[in-house]
Amino acid sequence: MENFYSVLISEWNRAMENLLQQYEIYAPIQTDETIDYEIIDADNISEAVYNIPKPTTPLKTFFLPVKENVTKPNQSEKTRIITGIPSCDLQALNILDEIYLDKEYQDSYYADKREKTILIGTSCFSIQEHCHCISYEVKPYPESVCDISLAEVGNKIHLKVFTKKGEGLINSLKKYATISKSPQIEIEEIELKQKKIENQLLENNRDLPDYKKTGELVEQAKDEIWQKYSSTCVSCGACATICPTCSCFLLVDKQGFEKVRQLDACQYPGFERVAGDEDPLHGLAKRFKNRYFCKYFWKPYKFNSITCTGCGRCIEACIGKINKNELFRELAQ
Amino acid sequence: MPDKTNIYKPIKAKLLEVITESPTIKTFVLEPEQDFSFKTGEFIELTVDGIGEAPFTPSSSPLETKKIEVTIMKTGYVTEYLHNMKPGATLGIRGPFGRGYPVEKFHDKEILVLGGGCGFAPIRSLLYNLMAVSDKLRKVTLCYGSKTPDECIYKPYVDELKNTPKFEVLRTVDEPDESWEESVGVATVLLDKVKIDIKNSIAVVCGPPVMMKFGTNKLLEMGYPEHDIYLSMEKNMSCGLGKCGHCMMGKYFVCKDGPVFTYDEIKDQPDIWS
Repeated sequence: MENFYSVLISEWNRAMENLLQQYEIYAPIQTDETIDYEIIDADNISEAVYNIPKPTTPLKTFFLPVKENVTKPNQSEKTRIITGIPSCDLQALNILDEIYLDKEYQDSYYADKREKTILIGTSCFSIQEHCHCISYEVKPYPESVCDISLAEVGNKIHLKVFTKKGEGLINSLKKYATISKSPQIEIEEIELKQKKIENQLLENNRDLPDYKKTGELVEQAKDEIWQKYSSTCVSCGACATICPTCSCFLLVDKQGFEKVRQLDACQYPGFERVAGDEDPLHGLAKRFKNRYFCKYFWKPYKFNSITCTGCGRCIEACIGKINKNELFRELAQ
Repeated sequence: MPDKTNIYKPIKAKLLEVITESPTIKTFVLEPEQDFSFKTGEFIELTVDGIGEAPFTPSSSPLETKKIEVTIMKTGYVTEYLHNMKPGATLGIRGPFGRGYPVEKFHDKEILVLGGGCGFAPIRSLLYNLMAVSDKLRKVTLCYGSKTPDECIYKPYVDELKNTPKFEVLRTVDEPDESWEESVGVATVLLDKVKIDIKNSIAVVCGPPVMMKFGTNKLLEMGYPEHDIYLSMEKNMSCGLGKCGHCMMGKYFVCKDGPVFTYDEIKDQPDIWS
C-alpha cells in the first residue's frame, strides 16, 4: 500500500526527539494505574505507549480547555503533534467541528487549535471493560479524522497517512529516520489484530442496542427509567466533563469586556435557569434525562455526527456507579 | 457591523438615555460605536462590563441603525446592575442573533398581536416595522395586558398607535385603579373583544410564559392554525450562537433556530412554557 510506512521504534523515538524543536508533542504515558496524554520531552519519549484504548482525559480538552479567554488575541502557539489517539476520541471531534467550525459563527480559538494540531491516531490492540465503540458505528482503529494512524508491531512503528498534513510530517521524519514502505505481510498482521479486537468488541457488546436505535429507545423510555438510574446521581457532572463529545459552556464576564469560555454541563443545577428563576431543568432526574435526550435524540436530529462514540468514560467516571449501557440494555429488552 | 472574526467580542455602546417606563421596567437608549442593524425579533447580548451578559430583543425600530433601544425589566443579577446605570456609561453589544419575525409573510394579512408585561418590548420593534409597511397590511390589532396601570409601558407610543390608521390598541390590567377606563382581567380577555378575519390573519404572542401558554391555547380555540401563531421564546441564551447549549429546547437552539417560532414548530418540544 503506497501510504503505509514503517520505521524502527528506536529511530521513531529519535526522530520525535528532533521534532521537539519544532513541535509540542503529546503522547499517552502510563503512570501507576493510569494512562493519559502527557507532554513529551527527551526524557520520557521512550515511555509513550501505543495501541492502547483511551487515555483518561478526552481529546476535546486540547481544543476546548476548561477555561479560555475568548476575547484576547489568539496566542500564536507551536504546532502540536498529539499521538496515540484512539478512534473513539478521533470520531468525537466530528461533532465538535460541526458546532465550533460552523460556517456562520466560527469559533476562531477552536479553529486555530485544530489548524495547528497534527493528529496521530492509533489502532486499539486491547480493550477495556466498558469499551463499546463498535455499537456506535466506530471501529477500534482510525478510519478518518486523523492525519496519520499508527500501529506498533514487533520492533516497528507502522504509519498510515490520511492527509497532506500527515504526508508533510512523514517528510519531516525522513530527515531523522529511515522510513520505508511497509511490507504487505506486516500490514496484514495489523489488519488481523484489528479484526480480532473488532470481534472481541462485538462479542462483549452483543446485547447493546446499536446507535441507530438509541434515539427511539430514549424517546419511548418511561419516567421510571430516569428516576431509577438517576437515583444515585449527585449532579457532579463527571459524565459530561469526561465525555469526548459534551462541549456545553458558559461565557463568564471579566473586566474590560473580556469573556472566558468555561466548560459547563447540563448536569449542574441551574444550567437552564433564567432571570426570574424559571428553570426547566430544576429536578435532578430531569437533568439526568436531558443528557440522554440531548445525545441520542435531539443532537442526532440537528447534526450529522454521532454524539456518543462508545468510549465508556462516563461509566468509569460515575461515582454513583450509573452504567448507561445497563440503562440501554434495559430499554432494549 | 460587529467583527465576525471574533464571535464572542462585544462592540461598545454608549448609554445615551434611560427612560423609566414603569416601577420595574426601563428603556435604555444606546449608541453603538458602529452602525448596528437588526431584523425585528432578532436579539442582542448586552454586556455589563465585568458583571455579566444577558439576551434582549431590541424594542426600537429595525430601520434605525445609529441608535438602539432595549427595554428591560429588573428581574435578576445583570438587570439589577443595568437599572442602576446612568447615561454616559459604556455597555457591550453582541449580535444580532437568531431568527426574527418573517414580516414579509404578514403582507395582506390582519395581524393580531398579544403582549404582556415586558413582552411589549420586542412587539414595539415589530410594530415600528409594521407601521413602515402598513400599506401592505390589512389591519394590526394590539392586545396588551399588564398587572396594574402603573406597569403599562410605552404610554406615549400607545397614544401614537391609537391615532395611526389601520392600528387598533386594546389594553387590560389585572388590578385597575380608579382612573383606569379600559379592560380588566388577564391579557387573554381582550381576545374575546377582537373582531378579526381569522382566515386572513396571523397572530403574534410575546410575554411571560404563563401568558404565552394561555394566549396560545385561546388563539387555537379561536381557530388560528398552529402555523399562523408566532411565539417569541425566552430561554437561557448565553452565547447566542448555537454552541453553549444552555437554550436547548428539544431539537432547537432557541438562540439560533428562534427566538421566533411558530407554534407548530415547537409544540412537541419539552418545557416550552418554562
